[in-house]
Amino acid sequence: MRDVAIVGVGMHPWGKFEGKNFIDLGVDAVAKALADAGMKWEEIQTICSGIFIWGGNAGHLSGQYIASVFGETGVPIVNVYAACATGSSAMRTAYMSIASGQVDVALCLGVDMSPKGVLTAKSDNPQQDMDVLRWRMVGMSNPPYWALECKKRMEKYGTTEQDLADVKVLLSKYGSQNPNARYKKLYTRDEVLDSVMVCDPLRLYEICATSDGAAALILCASDKAKEYASKPVKVAATTIGSSIYGDPTLRISALSAPAKAEAPLLSESYSASRQAYEMAGIGPEDVDILELPDNSSWHYLQYLETCGFCGEGEAEKMLAKGDTEIGGKVAVCPSGGFSSFGEAIGAQAIWQVAEVVTQLRGQCGSRQVENARVGMAQTYGLMGNSGTTILEV
Amino acid sequence: MSQQEQVANAVPAYPGLFTEAQDGVHLMSARCGDCGTHFFPKNHQQHRPGCSRGPVDEVLLHRKGTLASFTTLHYMPPKPFKTEKDITPFPMGMVEFPEGIQVVGIITDCSQDDLKMGMEMETVAYTLYRNEDGQSVQTWGFRPVK
Ligand SMILES: [Zn+2]
Repeated sequence: MRDVAIVGVGMHPWGKFEGKNFIDLGVDAVAKALADAGMKWEEIQTICSGIFIWGGNAGHLSGQYIASVFGETGVPIVNVYAACATGSSAMRTAYMSIASGQVDVALCLGVDMSPKGVLTAKSDNPQQDMDVLRWRMVGMSNPPYWALECKKRMEKYGTTEQDLADVKVLLSKYGSQNPNARYKKLYTRDEVLDSVMVCDPLRLYEICATSDGAAALILCASDKAKEYASKPVKVAATTIGSSIYGDPTLRISALSAPAKAEAPLLSESYSASRQAYEMAGIGPEDVDILELPDNSSWHYLQYLETCGFCGEGEAEKMLAKGDTEIGGKVAVCPSGGFSSFGEAIGAQAIWQVAEVVTQLRGQCGSRQVENARVGMAQTYGLMGNSGTTILEV
Repeated sequence: MSQQEQVANAVPAYPGLFTEAQDGVHLMSARCGDCGTHFFPKNHQQHRPGCSRGPVDEVLLHRKGTLASFTTLHYMPPKPFKTEKDITPFPMGMVEFPEGIQVVGIITDCSQDDLKMGMEMETVAYTLYRNEDGQSVQTWGFRPVK
């Protein structure tokens, strides 16, 4: 295996873009990544693309439709899906193509244009698509899954409504300084606590929206990276995790969970992050920046523990002490997080990596994490999938 | 209408998930004879690694369990969830059964203020809507044991 670096990043801003299609957004992100690397399209030797699930056949072949705009060159195109960790799968596939020695340059991209309102089932065929049952029988969209886990946390560790609101307050501070964020308003604790209750104990501003967005990365063999980037960012690890038997999490899509824990909560993310620490030869104490999947305020707190940044039940203390702020122990979501961007399923994992790259290059202006050397992007998708990427300069 | 007739006039929104036994409504589970894991739905098998994957026998869960978590939903879930009218806000929760499995469901016959973690809950049938033939289309639900 040889070393791999990121030499180009590009993103289409997050928001709602009615009238555009996924190809428009994807092309924009890829063009920016190519420009960032100073690279010609013909130099791309393989393409790993996240599937755009709401776009029918075209969306399931997103790589082909976006590549054709730049000009078809016959290179391998792999389209992947792993729910909200789709981008992590694309990233790892691109990485492996280079690390294995098969190619020197790979493009990794993801795009999503979310349907209006709450996401729902993708079929009405429970015989094949077991996911339908949660919608039809219980009305379980995603937020109740998070709320049920959050309620357990409150009971177990005494997490308060103020803690949940404070997560949003901090994230809004960073989102307000990020030009690519969808939500740029600053919030106070009272404003968050005054927002409507969506799914007790989670309020409107404590749950991420669904957005449109696209992001692209250009990966390159490290020994050739200097040809494209003055400051290549090393991929120290990029992993995929799946769940472990006995995980007590009520996983999104499932209707049941084991009562007795025999594995960690969010074991897919535990698994991805531990693989990554081993691969990179570092631990959470070495990480300067952490982009975690803050689908809700509960996720923000829980992921600090799941990824080993503090012990169980200690995340609220970390937040209150300022340990998760820029300038604290580890800058958590200095991008503003999903809270400021919203989810864009196929794109978000790649966007998180792009944000970390931008930080490690020192290009984040007023929300720059000083002297950041190690950054980590952590994702999570339904039914047990997750990915971790650790980057170093 | 007698209890018996009501049952005859009801259909599940999807078969094989819950059933009415003599003592009331039970969730339909399956248990692996090798690794001992209970599954719900019964065909969502999640065996312990190394298990020979069977024999898997269909079993009914206990009617009663304890409330492991709960929430109140303040927005109507999207289709394919269907009810006669807007039922928001409504509680839903996870009930832990003696078999060692937690199952999620709509909570009925009470408000969130009545709910406490760990309280005893029982399984019931919950009517979502009436179909064109006048039958109650049902799912499972939970309610506090009185
Ligand atoms: Zn088994």
